[in-house]
Amino acid sequence: MEAKKPFNLIKWAKSRKGQQVLICVAFMVIPLTLLLVFTYLPFEEMVRFSFYKMKYGTPREKWQFVGWKNYIDVFSRDDCFGALKLSLYYMAGAIIQLVLALYLATILSFKVKGGNFFKGLMFFPYLISGIAIGFIFKFFYTRGFVFDTILQWLGFELENLPYWLKDQSVNNWSLVATSVWRYFGQNMVLFIGAIMSVDAELYEAAQLDGANKFQQFKHIILPSIKTIVTLNVILSITGSLSAFEQPFVITDGANGTGTYFIIMNEIAHVSQKVGLASAMAVVLLLIIFVCAILQQLFFKYVFRDAASEDESYKAKKARLKAEKAAARAAKKGVA
Amino acid sequence: MKFKKMMAVTLIAAMTMSMAACGNNEAGTTNGGNAGTTDDGNAEAAGTESADAGSTATGALSYADITLGEDYTDLTATISMFNHRTDMDSEDYGGKNWASYIADFNQMYPNITVNITTTTSYADDALMHLQAGDYETIMCIPAVDKSDLDSYFISYGDLDTMKSEINYASTWEYGGEVYGVPSTATTQGIVYNKKVFEEAGVTEIPKTPDEFIAALQAIKDNTDAIPLYTNYAAGWTMGAWDAYIGNNATGDSTYMNQKLVHTANPFKDYGDETHAYAVYKVLYDAVANGLIEDDYATTDWEGCKGMINNGEIGCMVLGSWAIPQMKAAGDNADDIGYMPFPISIDGVQYASDGADYSYGINANATEDEQAAAMVFVKWLTEESGFSYNEDGLPVDADSTETKLSFDGVTFIQDEPSVAGEEDLLNEMNSESELNINAGGDTKIQQIIEHAANGDMTFDEIMDQWNQSWSDAQESLGVEVTEE
Repeated sequence: MEAKKPFNLIKWAKSRKGQQVLICVAFMVIPLTLLLVFTYLPFEEMVRFSFYKMKYGTPREKWQFVGWKNYIDVFSRDDCFGALKLSLYYMAGAIIQLVLALYLATILSFKVKGGNFFKGLMFFPYLISGIAIGFIFKFFYTRGFVFDTILQWLGFELENLPYWLKDQSVNNWSLVATSVWRYFGQNMVLFIGAIMSVDAELYEAAQLDGANKFQQFKHIILPSIKTIVTLNVILSITGSLSAFEQPFVITDGANGTGTYFIIMNEIAHVSQKVGLASAMAVVLLLIIFVCAILQQLFFKYVFRDAASEDESYKAKKARLKAEKAAARAAKKGVA
Repeated sequence: MKFKKMMAVTLIAAMTMSMAACGNNEAGTTNGGNAGTTDDGNAEAAGTESADAGSTATGALSYADITLGEDYTDLTATISMFNHRTDMDSEDYGGKNWASYIADFNQMYPNITVNITTTTSYADDALMHLQAGDYETIMCIPAVDKSDLDSYFISYGDLDTMKSEINYASTWEYGGEVYGVPSTATTQGIVYNKKVFEEAGVTEIPKTPDEFIAALQAIKDNTDAIPLYTNYAAGWTMGAWDAYIGNNATGDSTYMNQKLVHTANPFKDYGDETHAYAVYKVLYDAVANGLIEDDYATTDWEGCKGMINNGEIGCMVLGSWAIPQMKAAGDNADDIGYMPFPISIDGVQYASDGADYSYGINANATEDEQAAAMVFVKWLTEESGFSYNEDGLPVDADSTETKLSFDGVTFIQDEPSVAGEEDLLNEMNSESELNINAGGDTKIQQIIEHAANGDMTFDEIMDQWNQSWSDAQESLGVEVTEE
């Protein structure tokens, strides 16, 4: 027993344990390498770009180091942060989209005639390529075309209708509507999936207790699917901060519809200020981080009652108060 | 167990392979990714060697020495050609399509087979083909650096010889050698519908901005047509307005590439209806007076062709390359006319003319293929009538035939930039973000938006541009020498 055999690599590799280790390593290395090479390395390069003045074709030795200038420019230029205001339109759209999706998901997760047909119908827009949607809606919104015609059937006069893409007071809403139309089906399907996992007995029990449908939704469904709600909200908010496809295809970012991404694309690819565009990208990333953290805190607060382990703010306050009082009482006792 | 072992081995192999690939990848990027220069192109089996008069003493091919119909008539070769004219692939093409050109060519050279492939995204695809190293025998030269020309293409001959053979020989010249023969040549002006102008009572072609706006107004008052269709939504059609601020607006062939970068406030009002100010003011005034389409945000490039052909549009500001497309889009080809941009400098109207895409011949092809390719290019230029059919200006130096009637217009060509300042305009474009003649569509679109919404006067816009230009000059340390 004492005299150990010399370590035999081949034999070890053939043993069950060796096989396990090898396969584990192999499975881990491939995704990690891909992640590193195609995500983290380029990202690191982009952060480096953001400190230089350079174009795409500029050879490395001609890059000019400019320090924080690009970042200062991002904050001092009107167009960069002005474009973020447009995100508010898309955020408003995102809220409408989520409410609509949640509402339809709740209805469709109960027995509805033709439920699957409606699900398919509403999920369908998500499957169409964004470019195709762009072209569809360009014609949809053209003066006197589809949308105007439908509204005229409903009794509107053409003269009273705005120019959906030309009029700067409505054109962002037109684009947001396109975005909602496209993505609410996907949100809905995610919600339906989550609602399906709710134990049906809970509804029965709630019904016996006299809960109506809305109370069932509020007290059973919503708490059960909060993870997926949080996820969808985060995705929609980051999505609205980085809205690109709809304005790029439908209006080319012109006419006051240039979102942050559109401006960034223009600066990077037309004016070839790669450093500035990279700085914009880094700033946007930080903004998205902040938004995500804020949302986490917000949802922690909203769902605090539902999460059984977390004590609510009120309960915590009460407990602290009680402890303080006890401590004071103890102090008094000692004195 | 055996299966598992095999799995493990395969996985490890895959892992090492991917690592190796990554290593290569990084090596590639540090080298500047110039893999395109490697000579691993078309190396097909060589046919019979043939030495005709087309070869000079050194054995190199020479465009000038080829006599069509006499040299290389017994040469058997298969060549390929890559270009952007997808419309000419079609049987329905209004003009002469590729198939009938090749049929004509094969009457003179029955043994040379020409295969033509086309694509709509030519500019990008062509660069990709070049970089991959495996590209067609004849390419329309895309945006490559002139210093790289000789690694991709063969020379047609030296500049002096070629100048006596073709026009625009210096377009793709490097080190005294010519690497490209233009397919056709174009100029800048305005496409218009003659019938609409006639119905509106405009008999004289407008020569100044004021006359032009008056003509547009007449079209609005007297016809149902849209006087000026902007093609705002397409974007690149807006950037096309930049093409007129050089020769058309100044009559000075050194303005665009030499003077502009050194000019103080180039967008200021010169007071005599010339220069960039006058060009963009035409657009602003047309929009402000409601002389453009109703809903500019949803213009449709493909649709506009048929509309101008049918007389629903008065005119559009586009290069002469657009004429055949407008003619082919309907039954009224004869109504389509072309006029110079309405700016006169001391009573003279100027226009730039320049080469469209040029044919380059694959430097890696076999000698026979190169010879066949050069014969085909020369035939296209001298015999086929391609340039004439496509409403271009003549490329063959001996020809003056063209369908463009630009009476009283003086053609001038932009002088190249001064040595040492080749990149300065690019730098200025990037720094000022005005991107003149370099995809600066947004700024022109904004002219339309401000004119339509009335939230900025034209002078305010121009002041803004002047400011951007001056800031860029300052930050790049460009000397301001021109007024």
